[in-house]
Amino acid sequence: MKPKIAILVRDRAGWRLTQHFFRALFDFGLLTQAGADSLTHLLLGSVGGFVSAGLLITYLYLGKYALLWGAPAEVHRRAVLGDDLMLVGLPMLVVALVTVIIGESLFPDERDFRVLGPLPVRKSTLFGAKLAALAMFTGLLVAVIHASLFPLLLLTSIHPNGQPAVLSRLVVWLLTGASASLWVLLAVAALVGVSTLTLAHGRWRELPGLLRSAVLGMLVVAVPFVLRLPDSGGAFAEQADWLMFLPPAWFVGLQQVLRGSRDPWFVQLAGVGLAALAAAGLLVAATYAVLFRRFEYLMLRSSRAPGAGSRTDAAHGRDEQATPAFRGVFHFTLLTLRRSQLHQGVLAGIMACGLAIAMRSTAAMAAPFTLMFISGLAVRATLVLPMEHRANWIFRMTEDGNARAEQQRAVDRLVTWCVVGAPLALALPTLWGGTGPRSLGAVAIVALTGFIFVHVVLADWRRIPFTSSYLPGKRFAAHSLVVGGACYLLLTWAGSYLAAAAAGNLRRALAIALAMASLGWLLRRRRLAAWSLTPLMFEDELADQPTLVQLRQ
Amino acid sequence: MLEARGLTKWYGGFLALDRADFQVRRGEILGYLGPNGSGKSTTVSIVVGLVEPSAGSIWLDGQRAADDPVAYKRRIGYVPEEPHLYTHLTATEYLMLVGRLRGLPERLLVEKVPTFLRLLQLWDSRYATIAAYSKGMRQRVLLAAALLPNPDLLVLDEPFSGLDVTAGLLFRALLREFVGEERMVLFSTHRFDVVEQLCSRVLILSRGHIVAEHEMAALRAGTSSLEDVFVQVTQQDDFAPIARQILDAMRQT
Repeated sequence: MKPKIAILVRDRAGWRLTQHFFRALFDFGLLTQAGADSLTHLLLGSVGGFVSAGLLITYLYLGKYALLWGAPAEVHRRAVLGDDLMLVGLPMLVVALVTVIIGESLFPDERDFRVLGPLPVRKSTLFGAKLAALAMFTGLLVAVIHASLFPLLLLTSIHPNGQPAVLSRLVVWLLTGASASLWVLLAVAALVGVSTLTLAHGRWRELPGLLRSAVLGMLVVAVPFVLRLPDSGGAFAEQADWLMFLPPAWFVGLQQVLRGSRDPWFVQLAGVGLAALAAAGLLVAATYAVLFRRFEYLMLRSSRAPGAGSRTDAAHGRDEQATPAFRGVFHFTLLTLRRSQLHQGVLAGIMACGLAIAMRSTAAMAAPFTLMFISGLAVRATLVLPMEHRANWIFRMTEDGNARAEQQRAVDRLVTWCVVGAPLALALPTLWGGTGPRSLGAVAIVALTGFIFVHVVLADWRRIPFTSSYLPGKRFAAHSLVVGGACYLLLTWAGSYLAAAAAGNLRRALAIALAMASLGWLLRRRRLAAWSLTPLMFEDELADQPTLVQLRQ
Repeated sequence: MLEARGLTKWYGGFLALDRADFQVRRGEILGYLGPNGSGKSTTVSIVVGLVEPSAGSIWLDGQRAADDPVAYKRRIGYVPEEPHLYTHLTATEYLMLVGRLRGLPERLLVEKVPTFLRLLQLWDSRYATIAAYSKGMRQRVLLAAALLPNPDLLVLDEPFSGLDVTAGLLFRALLREFVGEERMVLFSTHRFDVVEQLCSRVLILSRGHIVAEHEMAALRAGTSSLEDVFVQVTQQDDFAPIARQILDAMRQT
């Protein structure tokens, strides 16, 4: 009888741990209770968002398939092959993005080791619970994405000359879609696992995080390419060689094989897909096995080796002229951005969105302003996310009206780097390539627009980065979209207009630059003056929070 | 001298601290004892300026803290009960951050921070992030951060929690030397033994009221121990029956 009770207790511990790890995948360990509740609402809303997006895509495709209704079978087949690529590629992309975002939770980590190690929990239970939580999370995600794309699959399955086996097409799509999503999950997990095992100690400890951020950025930049996959139906029908390097094509090949095709091209694609799936699975299994066998050693080694601290110490002496308040906040912000994978991910992810949109922009003059707008969103979204919220007491205790403006000047500088630096890096080659030295005036206008836009990004800013609690989704989404959209249109229109006016006319460029520089300088002065008078905010507030009037004082 | 005059704190409808008056004299370690929920942490939070009192005021050397809170806070070092630190930073980086927030010049920090790390036995772990530190090591980082601005007053909230024996002995010697320079320590704790050994005076708090104040020398000379006085003034239950009930509950299968 006793062993049965022991098994029961152990199973309960495993289940509770699984629940704990599952919840941790949603709150990233940084939110207060109110913030976590708010995020739960946001996530539930995003499920609805996925389904709505699926219906919207289907609606957009209705016209295409209405035209294809009377088209020859081969034309329809090519179109469906292209759409099959997207029906597999889109879930892969979403799963990849989510997996990179939750990358820190893919394997048991040092926190699990230190918190759960002293408890009577077996190592196998810990690892099993982690895997089970991941499986639950991924299963849920894959199910939601495929459910949202189901109407589109139905639409692509119906054609007068096509095969009527909608059900078999659905089953095959679910099977290959799940395999493709599993492959991408395993591939990202293998990348995270191998880089963590090999690099996450000593002076390389920040590399896995940077690698993840880079992957996130690349995935975001890949979004427009995935959305253009339906255009590749012709290439697929003609068996273009480059498709061998396109992961969604492997699994569309597998679909064709499962539906009875014996074409060597499809068989080869399916083989590559299955081999890739097996290789990624083996790598992840090996990573888990190494971690399981050498858990203590791997978790404790970071305490022994010299790391990034030495380089940071050396950097301390560089800005001799800066005040202590400026240096304190500036270095704290940079170090957090260097070490926190979550903050890096948010910054890289949103900025990559900007890059992807800017790259698709048809007007070269508008591209830097698009990137500027999204860089502003990215940097603000990153700086408001908290880091060890309860450690902010040191900032609260040392808050000083005289030093506050200096502390915020550090924030101002970092925001300026992002909002001016990234668009300039894009504007210089694109504009120079177009008009040569005559573009310098336009480039200067891009930089000066950035200096003014910093004021918009930092409007009502009252925080030290990463120190305030965070309530996600506190504004009505439609309100944010309307205000953000209007701001974006105004920025790109006004920026492009001024840059175009300045290009090629030195006098006009100088006059515009002078006016903009004066405005930027005035706004910055006003901002710094306001910061020295406004108390810092350490608890996030809802947008409609009433202001407390302290009548007692 | 630090003076608390009529400190009162309401959290909504709950009275956490009711008209607390006390002084911490120069050259003195004042013990601040009380059961959980008695208002100790509220007092400490008010003294270090993290919480505004609902009524009453704090005075340091005749200056009201609220008149110039920044100057007041510059003279205080604080070790909180829970070691809430930015664990993605190394100890060096954290101390540099604290020093900068305290407005200390860079050249001073470059000298002081390594010295503190060596003396508090954190030097060997200086490259590791605080996430890898034990609780005792984190307490030492907090102590170094509290001492960094050369404070007049140290406010300590359970500073011995997690410290090993050696670090505890060092800590006690350090506090004696600290007040030997005519500085002040407000020492909030649950531990009678530490109060008996270290403090010159003790205040006992119960349900938001200061219910007793004793010179330790007088207590040591008398027949009652600090523990007896504490149990008496805070009207604690007789614990022996409760302990027996706990053991009974433990034995249930």
